[in-house]
Amino acid sequence: MIIQFLVCFAANISFAVLFSAPKRQLIFCGLTGSVGWLVYLLCKDCGLGLAGCNLVATLTLTLISRIIAALQKHPVTVYLVAGIFPLVPGAGIYYMSYYFIMNETDQCAKWGMDTLKIAGSIVLGIIFGFALPQKLFNKLHSVKLPSVKNVFRGR
Amino acid sequence: MAVTKEILTLAVEMGDALLRNGAEVYRAEDTVLHILEAYEIKDFDVYVLSNGIFASADENTEDACSMTRHVPLGKTHLGRIAALNQLSREICSHECSLIDAWTRLEECKNIPVSKISVRIFFCGLGSGSFGYLLGGTLPDAVLSFFIGMLLQVFLIATDHRLDSKFLTNILGSALVTTLSLFALWIGIPIMQDKVIIGAIMPLVPGIALTTSIRDLFNGDYLSGAIHMIDAILTAFCIAIGVGAIITLYRFLPGGISLL
Repeated sequence: MIIQFLVCFAANISFAVLFSAPKRQLIFCGLTGSVGWLVYLLCKDCGLGLAGCNLVATLTLTLISRIIAALQKHPVTVYLVAGIFPLVPGAGIYYMSYYFIMNETDQCAKWGMDTLKIAGSIVLGIIFGFALPQKLFNKLHSVKLPSVKNVFRGR
Repeated sequence: MAVTKEILTLAVEMGDALLRNGAEVYRAEDTVLHILEAYEIKDFDVYVLSNGIFASADENTEDACSMTRHVPLGKTHLGRIAALNQLSREICSHECSLIDAWTRLEECKNIPVSKISVRIFFCGLGSGSFGYLLGGTLPDAVLSFFIGMLLQVFLIATDHRLDSKFLTNILGSALVTTLSLFALWIGIPIMQDKVIIGAIMPLVPGIALTTSIRDLFNGDYLSGAIHMIDAILTAFCIAIGVGAIITLYRFLPGGISLL
């Protein structure tokens, strides 16, 4: 689990760099994404279905992104974009086209449906995450984070 | 009076820069509206699409003016979005005069993308990590790492030469598949599916999907649809690229036993 967390952290930071996120925010980009992935894994362990795992993970990810965005006074996109990548159904797309080529229609249909389900639950997760009014998060603007700021001042 | 015109130009220019760097439609629209308000323009109307801006100000006075911009869908640059956001925040709290705003805007627009070597390395790192995360073993991850780096080299090399995003995606995923199947063919013990999945990750339309959902959620149905179609077509192109190479691979001697 810890290894998964660290690898996911690296993956998210990589994508944040590819999309030229501000250097000071890279740590947070990595953090949001790996927490999202961790939640996904935990849900999976608890026996939640594919859609459920993705829904809960995306919801957590969106909320964390919004909280950090409010604290750091940066756009939510910065954190959300890199963090969403572990959940996006890249594997689904691959297997779907693979079985399509191999003429295994039932497998192709299964993966196609899974991909749609995942995409759908990501959609729902983000929508629920943004359903909370921005006012709640704006209150965080005034919260001072001395410890965090001091840590990053040297960078 | 050219003041209205200058303010409107600034506002629209900022919206333009935001959209160009991949911000959501509502952010661009909000920014334009807030800047106009901050410089005390009373009568205005702004309509933003994911690839265009329409704005008018002071329609009923002598210095009425309106503006239209076409903004092609571009590469995402989160750093510029963050900087522009900061600038608009300062303008709204009246910490930034009109002249300063122009220089600041130019600075924001010219925040550089990371160095080529950095991008290549991180693309590899991302691919490798995903190869591992999605169920691959360590050798898979290492191979994904190198293929991811090559993919980024390919993307940078074709950046200005290939106009079509579709072609870039098809060729990119075909390249990834070719390389991993080649590794399998010469006898490296890998799970080629994990390697390929890891390495196509940089092409997967995660951003387009997220942005489209958020646009739809904010009621910008047209912009949401534009981004959604973008995401679906990109996914489709990746599937074509991967699929074509796998089909070819089956005709290679010893290439039938996949998966």
